[in-house]
Amino acid sequence: MAWHQSSDFTTAVSGGAHDEFKELGIRVVAETSADFDAAKQKSDVETIEAKRPSVLLTLPVDPVVTASAFKAAARQGTKIVLLSEVPQGMEYGRDYVDLVTDDLFQMGKRAADALAAAVGDKGKIGYFFHDANHYVTNKRDQAFLTTVTGNYPGVKVVAKQGIADPTQAGEEANAVILKNPDLSGVYVTFSQPPGEDVLAALRANGNARTKIVSLDLDAPLALDMARGGHTFALIADEPYDLGRAMAVSAAYGLLGRKAPRFVIGPSLTITKSNLVEGYRESLRRYPPASVMKALHK
Amino acid sequence: MRLRAVEPRRYVVYVAFLLIVAFFAVTLHDEGFLSETNLLNIVRQTTPVTVMAVAVVFVLSAGEIDLSLGSVVALSALVTADVMQTQSAVLAVAAGIGVGVGVGAVNGLFVTLLRLPSFLVTLATMGLVAGLARSVTNLESVAVENPGFSNVFGSGNVGPIPSLAFWALGAVALGHLAFRHRRFGAHVVAAGDNAAAARAAGIRVDRVRFTVLLLSGAAAALAGILYTGRLQGASYTLGAQDLLTVYAAVVIGGTRLVGGEGSVVGALVGSLIMGTLTNGLILWGLSSSQQLIAQGVVLLLAIALTFREPMGATA
Repeated sequence: MAWHQSSDFTTAVSGGAHDEFKELGIRVVAETSADFDAAKQKSDVETIEAKRPSVLLTLPVDPVVTASAFKAAARQGTKIVLLSEVPQGMEYGRDYVDLVTDDLFQMGKRAADALAAAVGDKGKIGYFFHDANHYVTNKRDQAFLTTVTGNYPGVKVVAKQGIADPTQAGEEANAVILKNPDLSGVYVTFSQPPGEDVLAALRANGNARTKIVSLDLDAPLALDMARGGHTFALIADEPYDLGRAMAVSAAYGLLGRKAPRFVIGPSLTITKSNLVEGYRESLRRYPPASVMKALHK
Repeated sequence: MRLRAVEPRRYVVYVAFLLIVAFFAVTLHDEGFLSETNLLNIVRQTTPVTVMAVAVVFVLSAGEIDLSLGSVVALSALVTADVMQTQSAVLAVAAGIGVGVGVGAVNGLFVTLLRLPSFLVTLATMGLVAGLARSVTNLESVAVENPGFSNVFGSGNVGPIPSLAFWALGAVALGHLAFRHRRFGAHVVAAGDNAAAARAAGIRVDRVRFTVLLLSGAAAALAGILYTGRLQGASYTLGAQDLLTVYAAVVIGGTRLVGGEGSVVGALVGSLIMGTLTNGLILWGLSSSQQLIAQGVVLLLAIALTFREPMGATA
């Protein structure tokens, strides 16, 4: 399994795949994380190929520059199951078995609907988008913007801020919040870490009114939500089930049977009222103890 | 006749490399580690780091540092790939190298003319060049469909030997020759060891500093071009993870962080150690987190053995 990064998301996808493979009697021989580095992912795939695996599950870091690695693996006879994106020039059935993906538009739309609900369908909002070439986040961000501007005329996007380095979003968040203290809500491209940075910036600026909607479950934001703080909703997918689906598709490939061209996973909107169920459904576990304690206060 | 004392720590890196290879060879003998394909993969995967490591031996030995390496990799790769969309491969490669030489020259001029620390200058250019790399194609990756270019700079072979191996060996051979057997290498070491004494001895220290930073920029640009050939495309994220790997390889190889001592062959072995470790740990089936822990432990051991003070030495 050659993943694009290490995160709660990939841990859950990998966990689902491991469990399904175990039931199918398929052994996992190697697992890597490329930390969003396309060159490292190519090296990772080449190294894994030395073990002559029957199957490779992956989320490509970059559809252009990692394509040569996946094409080479496919030529060696490895059955490839893709998550979220198809590398350039790869064809369904010939080069890969199946594409498993979230409904990225739906996730962005859910975020827009949730933020509109949080601000009562009117008010000024800020938009923190991922300023990088990454298919998954780009699609979700665009879907949010399209929906919120198209469906909610009372909601005005008054601040747009790109986050180039997700680990350094604090400065951008501070600047936007300082310049726009009257924001009713903000959309943040994903929770960990930019969503956490925006939350910290709101607290540091003494802002008590701005609501946050972000994507992916994240403990600090979930705790804030449980305490009735800034975080109004988190939009999550079901990565564990995505992993299971990838493993099943891989088995189709091994048996020489045609898997569906796409498998699309569902998403859910998690608010304080369904936080526990949301954790169970998305990550197959209960929220952290601190979140449970805050919910029961 | 006087015999020179042998310093065992100088050779620790070579022994460490052999031990790591032997360990993986035994434990992964039926997992493809020793297969020709896998061993050549390690060479291919480490070549860009090796090329940069050779230049960094000069930079560190001269008492300087270059933090802009990773950003230059990305910008040079993107400029090469972009120019190749409309122009010849030769012009594209020249443009890519030009990027590195240009950034190296800017670094060198700021360090020598304005007497600024290379750490701060290259920290600034690191950000500046990374920003340019992001804007030059507006974050889009650029595919390269030029088989001749890809064969020479990344994906091709000469017989069973990958073309990348020749770039690595060429860089190491030239670097070793210049460092050990030419006056320039001695001047670099003298400038890094004691700049005032080097000046008193007639060495043009500023010229040495300018040259090593220029060399470093050019090597990073070449690494970017090699990535472009290997990946058959370029993206603004290339090289982002390389900075620490390059410096780790160089320091493990016996080059002092504070200047005055270096080893080009040691840097090659350091680079191979980094690549072999990553490769072997993946083949072992460790998770990503376990791989990082194991890499950290092995590197700590290698550095402790290479740099520990001899018994009885005082601080």
